[in-house]
Amino acid sequence: MQKINKNVVLALLSLTSLVFLLFQLYYYKFYLSQKNGAIFSKIRGSQSGQDSTRWHVVRKFLGLIASHNIPVYLIDPLILGLVDKDIEQIRSSPDGPSPECKYFCAPRDFTTFALLDKTWKHEMGLFRTAEKMGFQWLKIINKDPRLDGMDDLSGVEIPLHYIFKLASHAIHLVVFYERSGNYLWHGPLRLKQHMDRKFVPFRRLHFGRYPGAYEKPELLLVSIDDLKVQIPKNPSNFLEEMSHSRFLECRYREARAFFQLYPDDASLDAVEFRKKAKSLLHLAALTLNNLGVKFWLSSGTCLGWYRQCSVIPHSKDVDLGVFIRDYKADIIPAFQKAGLPLKHKFGKVEDSLELSFQGDGDIKLDIFFFYEEDDHIWNGGTQAKSGKKFKYLFPKFTLCWTEFVELKVHVPCETLQYVEANYGPDWKVPVKTWDWKSSPSNVQYNGVWPVDEWDDVIQIY
Amino acid sequence: MDEWKPNPAIKPHKKRSWYLAWKYKLMNQRMLRKLCQTGAVLFLLVTVIVNIKLILDTRRAAYEEEEESAQDYDDELLNVEVPRHPVSNKKVLDVEVYSSRSKVYVAVDGTTVLEDEAREQGRGIHVIVLNQATGHVMAKRVFDTYSPHEDEAMVLFLNMVARGRILIFTIKDEGSFHLKDTAKNVLKSLGSQVAPFLSWRDMWTFVGKKGGELYGEKHAKSPALSTWGDPVLLKTEVHLTSVEDAECHWPDTELNRRRKRFCSKVEGYGSVCSCKDPTPIEFNPDPLKDNKVFDVPVAVIAGNRPNYLYRMLRSLLSAQGVNPQMITVFIDGYYEEPMDVVELFGLSGIQHTPISIKNARVSQHYKASLTATFNLFPDAKFAVVLEEDLDISVDFFSFLSQSIHLLEEDESLYCISAWNDQGYEHTAEDPSLLYRVETMPGLGWVLRKSLYKDELEPKWPTPEKLWDWDMWMRMPEQRKGRECIIPDISRSYHFGIVGLNMNGYFHEAYFKKHKFNTVPNVQLKNVESLRKDAYETEIHRLLGEAEVLDHSKNPCEDSFVPDTEGRVYVMFIRMEQEADFTTWTQLAKCLHIWDLDVRGNHKGLWRLFRKKNHFLVVGVPASPYSSNKPSSVTPIYMEPPAKEEGAVAVPAVAAAEQT
Repeated sequence: MQKINKNVVLALLSLTSLVFLLFQLYYYKFYLSQKNGAIFSKIRGSQSGQDSTRWHVVRKFLGLIASHNIPVYLIDPLILGLVDKDIEQIRSSPDGPSPECKYFCAPRDFTTFALLDKTWKHEMGLFRTAEKMGFQWLKIINKDPRLDGMDDLSGVEIPLHYIFKLASHAIHLVVFYERSGNYLWHGPLRLKQHMDRKFVPFRRLHFGRYPGAYEKPELLLVSIDDLKVQIPKNPSNFLEEMSHSRFLECRYREARAFFQLYPDDASLDAVEFRKKAKSLLHLAALTLNNLGVKFWLSSGTCLGWYRQCSVIPHSKDVDLGVFIRDYKADIIPAFQKAGLPLKHKFGKVEDSLELSFQGDGDIKLDIFFFYEEDDHIWNGGTQAKSGKKFKYLFPKFTLCWTEFVELKVHVPCETLQYVEANYGPDWKVPVKTWDWKSSPSNVQYNGVWPVDEWDDVIQIY
Repeated sequence: MDEWKPNPAIKPHKKRSWYLAWKYKLMNQRMLRKLCQTGAVLFLLVTVIVNIKLILDTRRAAYEEEEESAQDYDDELLNVEVPRHPVSNKKVLDVEVYSSRSKVYVAVDGTTVLEDEAREQGRGIHVIVLNQATGHVMAKRVFDTYSPHEDEAMVLFLNMVARGRILIFTIKDEGSFHLKDTAKNVLKSLGSQVAPFLSWRDMWTFVGKKGGELYGEKHAKSPALSTWGDPVLLKTEVHLTSVEDAECHWPDTELNRRRKRFCSKVEGYGSVCSCKDPTPIEFNPDPLKDNKVFDVPVAVIAGNRPNYLYRMLRSLLSAQGVNPQMITVFIDGYYEEPMDVVELFGLSGIQHTPISIKNARVSQHYKASLTATFNLFPDAKFAVVLEEDLDISVDFFSFLSQSIHLLEEDESLYCISAWNDQGYEHTAEDPSLLYRVETMPGLGWVLRKSLYKDELEPKWPTPEKLWDWDMWMRMPEQRKGRECIIPDISRSYHFGIVGLNMNGYFHEAYFKKHKFNTVPNVQLKNVESLRKDAYETEIHRLLGEAEVLDHSKNPCEDSFVPDTEGRVYVMFIRMEQEADFTTWTQLAKCLHIWDLDVRGNHKGLWRLFRKKNHFLVVGVPASPYSSNKPSSVTPIYMEPPAKEEGAVAVPAVAAAEQT
């Protein structure tokens, strides 16, 4: 009996093991297929069948929008990536028939197009036609950021994204809005509670995780895979822009609360300073952008943006940050040409570089150069009369776009950490007396410049 | 490990024989066999456990990923959508109406929809209109029928209300003194039995349905002239009808859907909600050829005067060359009805949380609206600013399209305005004529973006300064000597009678007789001569050809200007320095034009029409045009009335005395 029991146990265990093995295999296969993105293709046809489905959906969509005179352009990073490789050829033969379906058949879940809001208004008819053509569609609306500001306005929510789904492919239409500062903005994609979370795999969308800011693109009408479509004239530039397009809205609600606590300075001096700071910032942005030097709002200017969405009237200068790897020798002559003479230059490219330019009136433009280390970023300061060096440490940060005084500019995405590093936990409280050598909470004494270098590292004009 | 995994392909009986053979082989090695068996059991157990764990892990991982995806794209504000109105199948409404000397109230199903116990306010008949299907309040009015003509307004309103609506009436204080028979008959036709006999200081409440059915009526007679009737409280029930019965059956179009939404919410807009032949809500005026203002945003500044807004938007959308997509209505406050009006016309409306009080509130609303306008249309160079109490001329956009380039090119210009402060029925004549003036009239005007962004916005009066925005804009610190272009005949008409700085008397005196252009497609003449230097040449030409009037006559008299047509006349008044407007103010008063402050002047010169002749007034010696005065002419001086008497000015004609 004992033996038989043992054998039964053995057999049962073997059987369970077998069942598990089979189950495991099945499950793994299912999981894998989901990862590959085939989840949402119901028909498991041959590869070529799927390819042409994508092409057909895109063609249908282009037909749909053409019938309503809606100018869209292609911003799909996958396709633009492929197009970019052959850009010369595509440009030179805009009408040539293509031998094979090379771009629109490439495997992917979505094809992404962009739409300029102001070129289009009458949506009712579009959706009716879309439905007739077999598209399912989803519209994502949210509040209009252009109404955000120091005034408490509320308007109708605006469309930010559309998704048109047909068979196993979907078209993601991103709506771009023009904003003051001469740039285009698209909103984040946020699902409201009642929305179908399974409509498409939202996680795999290329646009919508964050809002984004872009330059107005120049467009080019091309024919690829026998479809006529508008694309950005320079796809690689667009793709580059896309990779760091994240946009931060100013925190107007917090700014309003700030001004409740600390009423704004409405004196003529303050108005005058703000006006000057704004035009100085515009001039600096123009100059640096022309040189292709990436910069961001730093120190007091950054604090002003973050805390009160405006220039702090008692700050008396405009502060910008630039990574030392972006330094160009042309910066000084370019500013001089723009009418901003060099006021002083501290440090050298290898260490603690800082430039100051004299703007109109007694307003000064400071450019601090930032040095990247493994676990932090720092910039340097120099005291002119003693040759003492100071170091200001910041946690690592990336750059985001924002809008400030009608200008599209960079700020550190991790603004709070940046501001807190610089101004300490009490950054919300305005301070009128500020000593750059001792007040910042991230300042470190960094030795003294050797006297024989002084002529080079301390230049005052 | 592998050899222990049974082969699934083997059939059961084969498996059995394979097992027997294996058993036989190991029979003699018991120890080894036992060891193997134990090992096998252990190994299998481990496999099972590991497998279970693996399955659980994968499942959790998959689940987490899904969770994460939802988090990324979820709206931060998980506003739980509570159904706004719980669907009730209730078919009966309880209505309570109270009427007394000092207080009235109306409660529908326990909710107070009207309560007025303010002293010295709200006298007369209060009327409430309810939707017969939903019981929602669609309109609330009070007609002070103690005062004349208010009963006419009430009749007009009651006639506009759609058949089938529920009407609730209640009197506060006194409502019969000027309630004429016409009005009483209308009330009678609504089912009231008491209305024809309403008299002095009676209290009265009445609930009925338009077009029949009386739900209840109560009345308390005043026992004597000096006392009021006893307060009355009417409690009654109203039976609701089905939604279908309460709606009109218009063809299902996008426009009619908007209309339906509007008409089920509000009352008092007349034929827009008629079931038969409702008045259109889309106008499709002729487009303008070469329209230079098609892309200029239009900001309509509004408060809570929805009937005004309705009238204003109708005229605006009927103007030739209008572009509805560029229109934004800015409502000062979270009022529903103005927003309903905006949506009726398919326009976009924005509500603004009010800041500050009185004039400062208006001023802050202007600032917020202008800022938002330039944010919404970042590449606009201009914005048209309108108010909710203006009629817009049919050629408003044509007028702007022809003149806007001046604002772009001529730095000495402050604005283009559609309003001529001195353009009354008897003082304006030529629709094609434009002026340059040193004052900013407002009331339909164009603002340059650079002026707003660089100059006005940064120093706009703060909320605690109780300033009028327009007065502030007229101050020399802001205007800096720049001028506005205005037409001789206004392209807007100010119809607002109720408002912050407005009342019936004031409107009658200063706005009612204003001339308003109704001619389409007026071709403006000599637009180029409005430029700074060209305008001076033009003025000198005009003064050169002008006939000097007889300065011995009284300028207030009609005979001062000869009975001619199409001539140019000039008169000279005394004006010691730039800010001396003594004589001008007296002249304006007797000409019945704007005299509350100085408007419409250009370097001490005023241009208007009298008896269809162009009439120029030059202030001597302050005006640079004084040199055109013949030496024989002595400028006219008019004394202001003596302050104590406040009597009408008697013009002292200096010239007459001297000769």
